[in-house]
Amino acid sequence: MLTHSQLRRFAVVDTHGQRVKLMDLAIELGDAEYPAVEYLLFRTRDKQVMCLPWRMVQRVDPAQRCIGVQDLGMAEPTSAEELGQMLLLKRDILDAMVLDLLNRRATRANDLSLAEEDGTLRLIGADTSAWGVLRRLSRGRFAGRSDIYDWKYIEFLRGDPQAPLTGAKYYRRIERLPPGEIANLSDSLPYLHAAELLHLLPDAIATDTLESLLPERQLQVFEELDEQRAVRFLANMAPDRAADLLGALEPDEAKRFLEQLPLERMNPIIELLRYPSDTAGGIMTNDVLFVAKHLTVAEARQALQPRLKRPDFILFIYVVDNVDTRQLCGVITIRTLLITSDAECIENIMNPYLITIRPLEPAATVAQRVIDSDLAALPVVGQHGQIVGAVTIDAAIAQLAVAGSYRLPRVFS
Amino acid sequence: MSIPPAPQGLEAVSDLQPPPSALQRRQFGTAGLRLTLRGRTIRLRGLRRPPTGALRWLAILGPGIVAGAAGNDGGAIASYSSAGAQFGYDLLWLIVILTVSLAVVQEMSARLGAATGRGLLDLIRERFGLSWALFAISIVLLANGGLIVSEFVGIGSGMELMGVSKYISVPLAAALVWFLVVVGSYNRVEKIFLIMTLVFFAYPVAAVLAHPHWNEVAKGVLMPKFHLSAGYITVFVGLIGTTLTPYQQLFQQSAVVEKGLARRHYGPERIDVYAGQVFSNLVAIFIIIATAATLHAHGKTAINTAADAAQALQPIAGNAAKTIFAVGLVGASLLSAAVLPLATAYSISEAFGFAKGVSLDFRRGRVFFGLFTFLLLFGAGVALIPNVPVITLLVGVQVFNGILLPVFLLFIMLLINDRRLTGNLKNTRLYNILGWGTFALVTIAVVVLLGAQALGLFGLQLFGGS
Repeated sequence: MLTHSQLRRFAVVDTHGQRVKLMDLAIELGDAEYPAVEYLLFRTRDKQVMCLPWRMVQRVDPAQRCIGVQDLGMAEPTSAEELGQMLLLKRDILDAMVLDLLNRRATRANDLSLAEEDGTLRLIGADTSAWGVLRRLSRGRFAGRSDIYDWKYIEFLRGDPQAPLTGAKYYRRIERLPPGEIANLSDSLPYLHAAELLHLLPDAIATDTLESLLPERQLQVFEELDEQRAVRFLANMAPDRAADLLGALEPDEAKRFLEQLPLERMNPIIELLRYPSDTAGGIMTNDVLFVAKHLTVAEARQALQPRLKRPDFILFIYVVDNVDTRQLCGVITIRTLLITSDAECIENIMNPYLITIRPLEPAATVAQRVIDSDLAALPVVGQHGQIVGAVTIDAAIAQLAVAGSYRLPRVFS
Repeated sequence: MSIPPAPQGLEAVSDLQPPPSALQRRQFGTAGLRLTLRGRTIRLRGLRRPPTGALRWLAILGPGIVAGAAGNDGGAIASYSSAGAQFGYDLLWLIVILTVSLAVVQEMSARLGAATGRGLLDLIRERFGLSWALFAISIVLLANGGLIVSEFVGIGSGMELMGVSKYISVPLAAALVWFLVVVGSYNRVEKIFLIMTLVFFAYPVAAVLAHPHWNEVAKGVLMPKFHLSAGYITVFVGLIGTTLTPYQQLFQQSAVVEKGLARRHYGPERIDVYAGQVFSNLVAIFIIIATAATLHAHGKTAINTAADAAQALQPIAGNAAKTIFAVGLVGASLLSAAVLPLATAYSISEAFGFAKGVSLDFRRGRVFFGLFTFLLLFGAGVALIPNVPVITLLVGVQVFNGILLPVFLLFIMLLINDRRLTGNLKNTRLYNILGWGTFALVTIAVVVLLGAQALGLFGLQLFGGS
């Protein structure tokens, strides 16, 4: 195994006895778990950068500190443009921000470790410890302890939000993590890196991640996203989260995004945006399930099936007189719906005694009531008794947590 | 008018009367916006038009003002006071030039922060490699370590003016700052420190009441005047070092990063930066005028203690001069004693890839809070050593900062002009001229100072004794 700090002192020698200093190594981030070194780069006396494919390498000799090749004359000059497109170990990866997926943290590659296997040199790990710094400063003379993280569990980011869109290669191993953890991880990244991360995730995971970001961070990252993708994310977000995000944008921008959304996604968001943000309407979700009271349990299951594919909040199913007027009559839980016999009428099993909220009540009072009720949500009912949404316990906690000092509990941690 | 209570679940919901419409017609604080979307006109109260006029500017003010106010710390007041006492109005022109330079440099730091979302040391590490980053980090540690000591010296001498021994006030202040940053809500307390520094606005009043010769003042502002003496050069570099301090740039950049400002909203942020620097340097100018009109005019040119410096406030405050001066000094020093270790710990943690930020808890930010704690202990500890030559130390630290400044400026100029990093927020030509101009001014001043010192070592005296 070799470390990059050792490699930096290596020379390239050929069979004719010619000797040059190794400048950098170009790797290819491909499908292989450990990326292979593709080219070695060196400078000629007149500063021209030359590249030589790694397959020309005959031996790597750590004792002599040299890489033996057949003939240095076979190297080809590299233009600045080609150089810009390559991924170089020293220039791009060393010192860059890497995501250590095992420990769920963003850190820096202080040193790299490589290993040779069947004639290919592969990048197998990154050292993120202080020893790596020491080893580099001593140019590999002082080895110390090495704290090497397997490259398999590392995601390398370039810091350019556009890179994933222009065909740059990534491992995309990060998409195996739950979106909440990706969000936590990206809260500690510079915002351009966070936007890059969202660009390389599949839409569904990226949307969930975007929803879980801290509010200010969410806004900052959202504004760096590619517009089409941003619209797709908005369309996939829960309407209340999307409304909160749009409410934080400049009005003109909010309008531009709203207009690009498909009608069936735009309407619920607009309904929510009609209420000031400090009212129950401002914190509720209107993505709630409801069924007509005259249906049987079997019919209700049938009717709910297509809708169950989307909504986020599914614990309560509200019962209405009919689905057009949406007059609220009662509530059943998803559990009741599953355990009751098919022929039973919904009206007979629903609970008609409900605590309801009006959309223009102050958000703080409402949030307190939801928490006091110890229920997962309270329904919000409009002027004519129609259900317009529900304030979930999540929204209530978020509302009260913002109002209080969220840093206070740290005294006890 | 009584509003019937909301349904409480005691009657079946379908039997309830519709809710009263009075509640619906409640007056709203936010009128919302009328938007036409696909032919439908709707009023959306969930959207807000950004505040306009004065409110808008107030909303923008933030890190720039703090950076400016923290710049007028104990050491700075000492430098300004000695400049005024020793050379009267002769150095006012330098402050005017420095205001422009400082505003430009601070603006570049803020812009670098907004364009990249990262701190200065982090960028240095990635663009120039580990060795340069370590070099920059050692500079930061040395310069800021010295400054932190001077903040606690400022707190100690300010409190001694109010009759509290420094052996009580300095440890208390360190504990207070530590507690507020690590446990409490730093952001709220920052405002209290800021308000304490407002008493420095007593200086403009004192300056006017002292009846300075306004002709002389105008001459001092407009016409550069040089003295060929070692004292002048030292004060000159000291002024540069105290006005343009590397940590202000570090702080400005990380504060913009923490504020979560996106590239495209950077424009108005400049107002914050400019306002902060203009305010803080106006105070500097009036400190010089006030000391020049009181102390210098009466032949008192040497300032040795905080009490000497406080005399400049006598025209406005009479016997209360000492107290007013002390409150301002303690406020400014407390603010910097919090800001300095924070900015230092933040940038160093960032460069090494450790978790950082005041919003973390101690467990998740061990290195960050560890560094912060160490810097506070170091600063307070050194400040408590008996018989520390206070003023020499203060001025020495400022001169040291002046010497380090060119290095930092060079990094900032190179980074801000790197299109790959800053994109369309790259420097314009005017900024480049002003930026490199500042770099040249600072470098020449430092070279002259070092040259004079070096010649002094060999027994040569270039300018005659001070």
